[in-house]
Amino acid sequence: MHGTLFVSGNSGLHRLHPLTKLALTFLFLVFAATLPNLLWLLAAFVILLVPMSAWGGLLRPFLRSCLVVITPFVISLSIIQGFFTPGETPLFHLAGFVLTGEGLLAGLTVASRILMALGGALLLMLSTRPDMLMLALTRSGLPGSLAYVVLTSIQIFPRFQERAQVILEAQQARGLEIKVNIFKRLRLLVPLMGPLVLSSIVDVEERAMALEARAFSRPGRKTSLLALADSPGQHLARWGLLLLMLALIGWSIWRAISS
Amino acid sequence: MIRIKDFCYWYPGQDQPALDGIDLEIPEGQFCGVVGPNGAGKSTLCYALSGFAPHFFHGTWEGELQVGKRDVPRSTLGELAGEIGLVFQNSFNQISGARFTVREEIAFGLENLGLKRKEIERRVEETLALIDLEALAERSPFALSGGQQQRVAIASILAMQPKLLVLDEPTSQLDPRGTQEVFKILDKLAGRGGTTVVLVEHKLEWLAAFADRVITFSQGRIVLDGSAKKILADEKLLKLGVGQTQFTQAAAAVQKKKFIPRSRPLPVTLKQAQKFFE
Repeated sequence: MHGTLFVSGNSGLHRLHPLTKLALTFLFLVFAATLPNLLWLLAAFVILLVPMSAWGGLLRPFLRSCLVVITPFVISLSIIQGFFTPGETPLFHLAGFVLTGEGLLAGLTVASRILMALGGALLLMLSTRPDMLMLALTRSGLPGSLAYVVLTSIQIFPRFQERAQVILEAQQARGLEIKVNIFKRLRLLVPLMGPLVLSSIVDVEERAMALEARAFSRPGRKTSLLALADSPGQHLARWGLLLLMLALIGWSIWRAISS
Repeated sequence: MIRIKDFCYWYPGQDQPALDGIDLEIPEGQFCGVVGPNGAGKSTLCYALSGFAPHFFHGTWEGELQVGKRDVPRSTLGELAGEIGLVFQNSFNQISGARFTVREEIAFGLENLGLKRKEIERRVEETLALIDLEALAERSPFALSGGQQQRVAIASILAMQPKLLVLDEPTSQLDPRGTQEVFKILDKLAGRGGTTVVLVEHKLEWLAAFADRVITFSQGRIVLDGSAKKILADEKLLKLGVGQTQFTQAAAAVQKKKFIPRSRPLPVTLKQAQKFFE
């Protein structure tokens, strides 16, 4: 699907109601914030997220995306926390700085929290069409105009990048030099942003008219070509997930207070 | 179908009316072309017919403008959306951006009208077949050519089954093939008898081949009105800055050299030109 991470399929994960998957994503976010240490976080990732991605037939794209996103975090957090968190187990010396075991563990723990939160979001994006998610949210009370903004930004943003490229090429054709140092490059933004912003403003008026021509602001109930399958079991599961999230947050607060 | 009586419209802050005392009647099912130089009021006519002037642009108006039984300036855009369709020149800006396939894009307006899913499905399939878009139904609207996107834009409006279809230079950014695709669709629609088509267009050869009637605008007023063949052969079009078809220009040049008598009427279509030069 153009401009999205969605991988089409007919697995059980794909067929779940978008709000059920959204509730799971929030649960993984709560896991990321509340689980006490690296071991718990990695265990949750391996026991919950990896099998779920396999259930959805998404194991490869899921692990690949996780790897691409998490690697820079692992490297940067391990270095920063490893060298600057005080500890008693020196592992490595570099130019007067000491990489400690405690620091490295702290860095990896933060990275695994990010992995857990991002993994949940990735699983949602890989298995759910954005328009299905927005439809589910609008039926739950999200304003239609907000859902429209989210959906159009997914598809129209790449078009602005294409237009910026066209403008840049047009400016180059008129002698604009782009292979210059960083300060001169910043100055290049002016001839690029002017036409881009102005043409976008003109587009907005025409786009608004096109939407009006298609009854976008017509009052009354709107329907959808897309069918959302839900069940009492899933409805119940969403309440269960919400209660579990509240319990985890409560447990985390109790732990913090008692320690 | 369309009845306009002494209609004037002023954009906000303007002293000169963009439409000045328009009197016009267009019967149901007519394919009506609108020509004129830039700033003549052609686009404003499109906006007035579809209710965008005054409801979107605001401004002031006077006179009467009725489409069917609907008093356009006194109706809301929401009421007009399902009855009067407007297609613009920029096909890219007409893609909603909120749907991921051509099929869903066509359904977007029907969803806003609150139709039941079965009815949406039926109308989408019917429109896909009518506009010959079935092969592109599952493609992203953004992955199509300009001509194909314009066909999707027209299909999206047609699915709402408007009584009147207003098009403001829909082929201006299209190549000859895309232009032909659009004109064939319009011809099919007007030919079926149900849809009235008002088309603003600079490509006179195409208007000559397809339109029943041509209205010429200048400075917010209608200055010529008649059958496409009669109006497009009129020399006044040159003075108005509208130009003439290539066939008319060639024939006029030959007549000037006195190779062909002046009594012979100037051609506006390829067929007429063939006869003229024979």
